[in-house]
Amino acid sequence: MARPGGLSVDSSATNHLRAPSRTVTLGRIQPQAPTFRTVYCNDRDSIFPVRFKGNSISTTKYNVFTFLPKGLFEQFRRIANIYFLGISCLSMTPISPVNPITNVAPLSMVLLVSLIKEAFEDWKRFQNDMSINNSSVEVLQDQQWINIPWRKLQVGDIIKIKKDGFFPADLLFLSSTNSDGICYVETANLDGETNLKIRKALERTWDYLTSEKASEFKGEIQCEQPNNSLYTFTGNLIEEKQTLPLSPDQLLLRGCSLRNTEYIVGAVIFTGHETKVMMNAMNAPSKRSTLEKKLDKLIITIFCALVIMCLIGSIGCAIVTDRDHDYLGLHKTDWEYRNGMTIAFFTFFTLVTLFSTIIPISLYVSIEMIKFIQSTQYINRDLHMYHAETNTPASARTSNLNEELGQVEYIFSDKTGTLTRNLMEFFKCSIGGISYGCGITEIERGIAQRDGLKIQEEQRSTGAIREKGFNFDDPRLMRGGWRNEPNPDLCKEFFRCLAICHTVLPEGDESPDKIVYQAASPDEAALVTAAKNFGFFFYRRTPTMVYVRESHTEQMGKIQDMSYEILNVLEFNSTRKRQSVVCRFPNGRLVLYCKGADTVIFERLAYGMDEVRKVTGQHLEHFGSSGLRTLCLAYTDLNPEAYDSWNEKFIQAKSALRDREKKLDEVAELIEKDLILIGSTAIEDKLQEGVPTCIETLSRAGIKIWVLTGDKMETAINIAYACNLINNDMKQFIISSETDAIREAEERGNQVEIARVIKEEVKKELKKSLEEAQRYLHTVAGPKLALVIDGKCLMYALDPTLRVALLNLSLNCTSVVCCRVSPLQKAQVTSLVRKGAKKITLSIGDGANDVSMIQAAHVGVGISGMEGMQAVMASDFAIAQFRFLTDLLLVHGRWSYLRICKVVMYFFYKNLTFTLTQFWFTFRTGFSGQRFYDDWFQSLYNVFFTALPVIVLGLFEKDVSASLSKRYPELYREGIRNSFFKWRVVAVWASSAVYQSLVCYIFVTASAFDGKNSSGKIFGLWDVSTMVFTCLIIAVNMRILLMSNSITRWHYITVGGSIAAWLLFAFVYCGIMTPRDRNENVYFVIYVLMSTFYFYFTLLLVPVVALLADFIYQGVERWFVPYDYQIVQEIHRHEPDSSNADQLEIANELTPEEARSYAISQLPREISKHTGFAFDSPGYESFFASQLGIYAPQKAWDVARRASMRSRPKTPKKN
Amino acid sequence: MSTNTASSSAATAGSGDSSGARKNSKRPKYSKFTQQELPACKPILTPGWVISTFLIVSVIFIPLGVISLFASQDVVEIVDRYDNDCIPTPARTNKVAYIQGGGDKACNRTLRVTKRMKQPVYVYYQLENFYQNHRRYVKSRSDSQLRSPKYENQISACKPEDDVGGQPIVPCGLIAWSLFNDTYTLSRNNTRLAVNKKGIAWKSDKEHKFGNKVFPKNFQKGNLIGGATLDPNISLSEQEDLIVWMRTAALPTFRKLYGKIETDLEIGDTIDVLLQNNYNTYSFSGKKKLVLSTTSWLGGKNDFLGIAYLTVGGICFFLALAFTIMYLVKPRRLGDPSYLSWNRNPGGR
Repeated sequence: MARPGGLSVDSSATNHLRAPSRTVTLGRIQPQAPTFRTVYCNDRDSIFPVRFKGNSISTTKYNVFTFLPKGLFEQFRRIANIYFLGISCLSMTPISPVNPITNVAPLSMVLLVSLIKEAFEDWKRFQNDMSINNSSVEVLQDQQWINIPWRKLQVGDIIKIKKDGFFPADLLFLSSTNSDGICYVETANLDGETNLKIRKALERTWDYLTSEKASEFKGEIQCEQPNNSLYTFTGNLIEEKQTLPLSPDQLLLRGCSLRNTEYIVGAVIFTGHETKVMMNAMNAPSKRSTLEKKLDKLIITIFCALVIMCLIGSIGCAIVTDRDHDYLGLHKTDWEYRNGMTIAFFTFFTLVTLFSTIIPISLYVSIEMIKFIQSTQYINRDLHMYHAETNTPASARTSNLNEELGQVEYIFSDKTGTLTRNLMEFFKCSIGGISYGCGITEIERGIAQRDGLKIQEEQRSTGAIREKGFNFDDPRLMRGGWRNEPNPDLCKEFFRCLAICHTVLPEGDESPDKIVYQAASPDEAALVTAAKNFGFFFYRRTPTMVYVRESHTEQMGKIQDMSYEILNVLEFNSTRKRQSVVCRFPNGRLVLYCKGADTVIFERLAYGMDEVRKVTGQHLEHFGSSGLRTLCLAYTDLNPEAYDSWNEKFIQAKSALRDREKKLDEVAELIEKDLILIGSTAIEDKLQEGVPTCIETLSRAGIKIWVLTGDKMETAINIAYACNLINNDMKQFIISSETDAIREAEERGNQVEIARVIKEEVKKELKKSLEEAQRYLHTVAGPKLALVIDGKCLMYALDPTLRVALLNLSLNCTSVVCCRVSPLQKAQVTSLVRKGAKKITLSIGDGANDVSMIQAAHVGVGISGMEGMQAVMASDFAIAQFRFLTDLLLVHGRWSYLRICKVVMYFFYKNLTFTLTQFWFTFRTGFSGQRFYDDWFQSLYNVFFTALPVIVLGLFEKDVSASLSKRYPELYREGIRNSFFKWRVVAVWASSAVYQSLVCYIFVTASAFDGKNSSGKIFGLWDVSTMVFTCLIIAVNMRILLMSNSITRWHYITVGGSIAAWLLFAFVYCGIMTPRDRNENVYFVIYVLMSTFYFYFTLLLVPVVALLADFIYQGVERWFVPYDYQIVQEIHRHEPDSSNADQLEIANELTPEEARSYAISQLPREISKHTGFAFDSPGYESFFASQLGIYAPQKAWDVARRASMRSRPKTPKKN
Repeated sequence: MSTNTASSSAATAGSGDSSGARKNSKRPKYSKFTQQELPACKPILTPGWVISTFLIVSVIFIPLGVISLFASQDVVEIVDRYDNDCIPTPARTNKVAYIQGGGDKACNRTLRVTKRMKQPVYVYYQLENFYQNHRRYVKSRSDSQLRSPKYENQISACKPEDDVGGQPIVPCGLIAWSLFNDTYTLSRNNTRLAVNKKGIAWKSDKEHKFGNKVFPKNFQKGNLIGGATLDPNISLSEQEDLIVWMRTAALPTFRKLYGKIETDLEIGDTIDVLLQNNYNTYSFSGKKKLVLSTTSWLGGKNDFLGIAYLTVGGICFFLALAFTIMYLVKPRRLGDPSYLSWNRNPGGR
């Protein structure tokens, strides 16, 4: 590492500090600037000339001056707008048949609306920035803490942050009210991790706590230039000619907040946009919906149609144009009529200008408006998606992807925090073959509901205790009740095992209410909490002792403090799948307590435990199928001599230099035998509310759900069971790196060899599974398939050579579980399906590790309302609970898709119809490109006379109600199949447009030939065109009503209003004369028309005939090939549309087939083989390990335990 | 154990939170709009609806068709094509030369009245293959100039018939320049039938678009004479021939009102027409026809509307029948769940 010169610090020291930390950047990686920055603390004068950036931030896209040029530039990046700009320019030239206004008016209207929208959004961002910039912070000025707004903060300022306050900038941590100069910070805003991190100030600066002292601080900080690496920091503090190295431990990052610390004092290092969190702020890649991309194709097709029409016209013109028509005055001039080629050339552009209306200019802006309202008014305000507990409504962070939600086929879900609450609760247990605990898990509830059984309401006994980590209710065990149980001694062992055999650290007050257990995994904390609630309160740990306050052991109500000497800890690891503690009772009794997976414990049981083992095994299966995580507990009394001899071996193994872990494992085997089974625990990994139901609904909707988790395989499978993703009826393919072949290779340790072996294994497995899967697919009623794969295998399976096999296999599976995957792999899997299978994907997650996956999918959904914001910031939609996906996809997504499809089709149809009448007319004008309609009629057609009804359609169209959408999730498949935006649908609409334009044109012109009204006067061109236009407006507007499934009063108002607007406009426009040189072609035309009976007769005839064909088509389609939604509409046609309909009985509607499959589903199943062992969380590690000098991989930012470990040994010494 | 106190304190803290939360609750306000529960009518095109719609349409349309057909049948129309016949046989090899040459181009035509024509009988001329709707043609006019002498010089749109030697032409432009100039003199039994040429233009044109202070100037003074000349002493608003001509036709086949005969014509009357065949349609083989026609309340003789109404009404009736039969022969129970795609194909697609 090249370090800047001039620093006198030993660079190896800082390197050492940095060594274990990972370099994690969330956004683009920026190279570090070679120079360093020098900050003079508490000295605004010397800082001033350097001109660091201020602390005010701005996330706006524009400012007052750049808004117009930049905003317009953004608008013209859209191809349609460029097209219309070109057309507008063309229409300024003499070759144009139309007045420039025809094209300029709609274009400016569209631009105006878009710009207003942009301005509005930017204004909101600006206000948000302002509120952040203006929040106040206490800064040291003249020996006093003075409140100033964040934006006035400067580099070098000394500030004070109180408890729960946010850091306004990146700070150098100087001092805190806590002893030892530590403080706790919550980094949820950065990385989503909710556990508190410890920061420690340099010992030298601990005293600068009060304003008086702090004002004496005159340090000089030399540190790296601003960069976006969250977990690194190097620098030096030079104070009184001493140079002290700085590490990330002294850095408090903007966006984090202070916890459990009264206040801290810090010096500002980086401000505003130079803070690490802001450097990480990235613009989420802007996503376009698939539908919009298809829309582009449609637009290109339309454009081709336009070119063809213009070619026909220009060739026709070249042929027809004839100097013999001397009334055209062609003989006198003109360069443009010189020969056929020039005529064709110029006519082509004339016609392009004339037919430009075929491309619906207001389509994009209308869709944008519709989507904007859909997301801000519907999604953001849906009460069904409001989570009261966290006070979080759903939030659509982009309005681009609403309709994408209606076509999702694959969901990639994170586990922790998304499917589960990451809340482990002690739920049930089995002691000595008796099962305790009367709770009912979510999954049991779900199964019961599916089977139609009634669940009796849970009745909690009066003495039930509910706290974090403990949700157990059984009076037989509580409050010393266990003394009356058949096996009180075993119960005692059970509780002792829970209280002793663990690696938990107690923190805080040594009273049951206030103690906080710091554990590597929440399972452990839950077990210790359980012990506490059973009356075995573990309250203190020293490196050699565990102190437990035991109640009711000797007699009811008696409390006594016990201290157990911990002689050995046999670590948990994934091969051992168990953890043991050897302890000596105060009375000298030597006991080994062990807890672990049922399989490993059962192997090591003493002879003659078969009965208990069998019963416990059944309990375990039951627990497992209820989605609980189980552990078996066992103990054995040790013989002191045998122990001593064993201990020697253990110490030898521990000090071995080579293969220490392996040797330790081997030694452990020697003592972990002849165990006596105590029982088992069952911990509920609390699912988020409603997850199983939601998943079931979604899978009925044809959506496949993949769980991508960093957890271990067992945990992942467990959750998959709990969520209904996997059940025992499914054929499971498990591709794991935990096979003997791979382990063997790993032991040999050659990296290349390992890679080769794993790849071979994975290839073999994939091939085998794929063959098997294909065999199942060919059978009629094969089982559903599930794939479980772990991260290491996945790494090789994602290799280009195996990718296809993986994709084929996984696409055939109804559910896929990937465990132990890195954030990058999550993204890779997502893009594998997105790009490889070309399916629409959705990722949902809550933490920073899900960001890449969220951005890789078509639609990213973040779980909001929890602490972390990173996922939400990267997401397109944020919801508070996984279960809200049902509403988001099945209701909002489906409707949006339906609506946008209809809107697009309607736009296509109405512009085509309009332009085609013009096209037909061109045939009768010698292809001269004469416009049929008045300029203003044409320019207002799109933006005024037909604009609103289609927006109303896009807002209010509903095929079936929200409750029916959720009741018939299968309806969603129409979106997955893209039923409403196929070329077939386009073709139907196109033929409808051709038909209607022909009807409007031919009927009117044919009947307007001779004298009209009884005075024999004749209509001119403009009379006929106005007649056609009127018929067109009516037909096109009425078409909206014909295509709507749900007609609100807004439909009537806008449709009626549009027609009325046209008539009103016609009355006014035809009634006025302007002094300018304008062709008053349509002067009085409408009045002339309305003075004839012909007008009314035609007005009735033409729209009816025009719509008749569509009416017949719709009637026939519904009759013979009905869409699913139409059947559902019919089934529920008599029901009032209300959201309370959710509770209706579905069973009444069963068809015979359904009833049969329902009956089959109720038959008793093969007994579950899944016992639900799970005992870990990512980053499981022991503090004993580090204490004993055993290397354990450390997390970059130490967890709280490390700090307490350092301070803890002091306590006994002081005592 | 003092868990209870802890939980109660937690509970109070919780309630404090919730009251605080209520104040700044982000709970969306309920409205029918945001919850998408606006009352709506949900029409379902059930067979009943389809059939009754067809029936209603046919019930309304058939009588309307009959009425309009009757109105059209009432109209008596005499059409006489004369463009070819009015060229003397020797000149027919080169009609254009004939029409462009000088000399008297008078021509006699005889029309026979086959049905009684009640007055007023309208005299039209009909031109075919004449692109009065050509882009070049339609725009070659100046409405402001026609309206007021103030705008005499607004002739920019009128090219190539805009000025003569720098003097603006009034009325300028190709349309006016090519004013139709065949004339018809009608007589019955050697008595002249008066053809009233007043009141043939739409009132709005006459009163507002053509000014009564605007007089023709420099008209037809260019190198080429396009058509009729105008009396420079009569204001444009009185030149109804011009006004009619300048209301350009929609299609290349069109009729223009020439005048009206305000006496009844009886069956068997022969009407002699002395016409001046001046207008050149021969260069582009356009047809010229003379039309005498009465009108009904609906207009001239045009069966299109009536036939269209009758046809559509008939088709609807037929469709109503067809749907009824279909409904009886192959009924589909409304809302039959077996039609649902996932029931038809249980494996799911």
